[in-house]
Amino acid sequence: MFITPSSLLKIVFGVGLFVILCIGGFTYQHIDALSESTEIVKKTYKLRVELEKIISNLKDAELGHRGYLLTHDSIFLEPYFQSEKKVEHSLLTLDSLIVKNKIQRKNFEQLKKDIAKRFVIFDKSFDIAEDKLILSKGLLVLLHDGKIKMDRIRNDISVMLVYENKLLLKNQKKSEQALGLTPLFLYGILILTLVLLLVAYAKINRDLTVLRETNEDLNVFKKLTEQAEVVSKSGTWIWNIDENTYHFSDNLYKLLGAEPNSFEPNLENLFEYVHEEDRNILGQQVNRMIKYEALPFVSYRVVQPNGEIRHLKAHAKLIENGFEGKQLLGVTLDVTDEFNNFKLIEERNLELERNNKELSAFNYVASHDLQEPLRKIQTFISRIEAKERENLSEKGQFYIDKIKSSSSRMRMLIEDLLQYSRTNNSESDFKTADMNELLDHAQQELSDSIEDKNAKIISDTLPMLDVVAFQIQQLFINLISNSLKYSREGVTPVIEIQHSEVLTNDVKLLKKSLFKYHHKIVFKDNGIGFEQAYASKIFELFNRLHGKSEYSGTGIGLAICKKIVENHHGVIVASGEPNVGATFTIYLPFIK
Amino acid sequence: MNKEYINIALADDDEDDRFFFTEAFEELKIKNRVSTYKDGIELMTHLEATDLLPDLLFLDLNMPKKSGIECLKDIKANAKFNDIVIAIYSTSSSEEDVEKTFVLGANIYIKKPNDFEKLKKVLSEVVTTNWQYHTSGLNKENFLLRL
Repeated sequence: MFITPSSLLKIVFGVGLFVILCIGGFTYQHIDALSESTEIVKKTYKLRVELEKIISNLKDAELGHRGYLLTHDSIFLEPYFQSEKKVEHSLLTLDSLIVKNKIQRKNFEQLKKDIAKRFVIFDKSFDIAEDKLILSKGLLVLLHDGKIKMDRIRNDISVMLVYENKLLLKNQKKSEQALGLTPLFLYGILILTLVLLLVAYAKINRDLTVLRETNEDLNVFKKLTEQAEVVSKSGTWIWNIDENTYHFSDNLYKLLGAEPNSFEPNLENLFEYVHEEDRNILGQQVNRMIKYEALPFVSYRVVQPNGEIRHLKAHAKLIENGFEGKQLLGVTLDVTDEFNNFKLIEERNLELERNNKELSAFNYVASHDLQEPLRKIQTFISRIEAKERENLSEKGQFYIDKIKSSSSRMRMLIEDLLQYSRTNNSESDFKTADMNELLDHAQQELSDSIEDKNAKIISDTLPMLDVVAFQIQQLFINLISNSLKYSREGVTPVIEIQHSEVLTNDVKLLKKSLFKYHHKIVFKDNGIGFEQAYASKIFELFNRLHGKSEYSGTGIGLAICKKIVENHHGVIVASGEPNVGATFTIYLPFIK
Repeated sequence: MNKEYINIALADDDEDDRFFFTEAFEELKIKNRVSTYKDGIELMTHLEATDLLPDLLFLDLNMPKKSGIECLKDIKANAKFNDIVIAIYSTSSSEEDVEKTFVLGANIYIKKPNDFEKLKKVLSEVVTTNWQYHTSGLNKENFLLRL
């Protein structure tokens, strides 16, 4: 069983109290016994004194008696009579002292009898001595008899004294027996009490230390909370449900734009700060809070004294503890920044959406409306060529050819631009595809120009990879057609396609990649090549290294390549040497 | 098709395109009768009124009043038009349009060529196709006509 520090303390205190009460009881009992035995001793002593007095008075009486017998002077009779009275008085006292003791009473009766007899002899001898001056024979007998009686009295007294002594001894023994252990016992209990008190003291001391440490921790924690409130722009509050009182933290006041503790913390005063439009809703929430003793997330605005509007968000949770009863602990956050950011993002999103709409509208215009007049121009030209060519002068035919090549170039530009704008990731889905198949498709698409140029394409086996198939196919088409386009006059174009797997860390270019492995696919041709200085420029949109009349091209093809590779989280680079060839290297990441 | 001529209809708002279309059929050595309509409403009004339904209907997608897509939906919803072969005849070949018209039950998708000779070639190919056979093997791959 677990004993809490405070209940342990209570137990120690209770035991101590009990022990002290016990000590009191025992002490009272023993002091009572002690005073009783003292009383007995005192009585014995008094008895002894009275008995001694009797002997001494009897002796005085005898002395007076003898003096009278010798002198017949009545001066000796004075002490005799006094002694007699005193003896009588002593006997009365003795009588009162031995009321209870039967044995001693018997002894006392004997003594009384003997004393009476002695006084009878005294009286007799006085009668004889009245008329005769000299000692008669009868008087001598009486004197003799008196001595015997005196001896008997002495004996009686000594019997009584011996008995009383015995009684005293017995009593002493008894009280010794009773009192002998008392001091030890009392001392023991006292020590025990002291020990208990010491334990209690140590315990209290330790508890106090723990309490102080806890207090310090609490203080630190309080400071931290205050700091956290300031940093996080939040405030805390407590609703003591049983007493219906509130406590607001300093920063909660600051969130409202007020000085800490500048007003009584209650709902009425809080509502003064709440934005007019939000009072109703917040009021409903608070009513629910009072009813259900909980507060879900609730947002409202406050108007600070300087007129600034802040957005707050509050949440509270019920706790029940022993001391304070039921409490609702609440946190209120200033979410104004969040709110503003959210609004900003929303605006940006709307703007982006608008931009996207405009872009797709442009796409539509480019793909449909722009192509339509162009298509008609081209169709009409084809009609002129087929039907009216003979009717034209040579110049007219030349002009027609120029219009024809210009319009076909415009078509190419529009188509490439469309291709470029369609190459984005938003709608594409990645699926596992066989790259060899995609390369095959690309070659089929280009079969005419491959045949025209008599080109040779040598390829390694390519891997399977999660890609947007039509994009990768477009990439292959663009790269191969690029090589075919820029082939050297009089040299059979040879395009080598090599594949290898590389560790990302081994390639400087891939420093930023999060993947561990990359496929490295190299397209190498033996065409006209280019100056290495232009290696990165050739991927830029509308960037061309050659005049339009030398090589047909829109300057979009390689830009599309770059976009496709980047859509696949890869990297494409080019290197070239004039009149030797160009090499395009693609790195595509994969997971092993 | 045991008739002497093929009945062909085209709905296209573009006058030039209607001109190329009729001219191409004139030059083709196929017995045909071509009728053209300048929008979807005109086409549908005629189709619902006549007993002489076209064998082959060319539909432009982008038309005022009633688009080709809407016409396609109405035609497919009416059992009377079950035998009409429908060819989409459009300037764009955006994937969205191709997908949509395929799902709605068009038979073929033709992108308007930019050369008159090509146009003739495409039209003659469509007209000479045995559609009963072709329809059974119809799939998304050969839906868009490539030449």
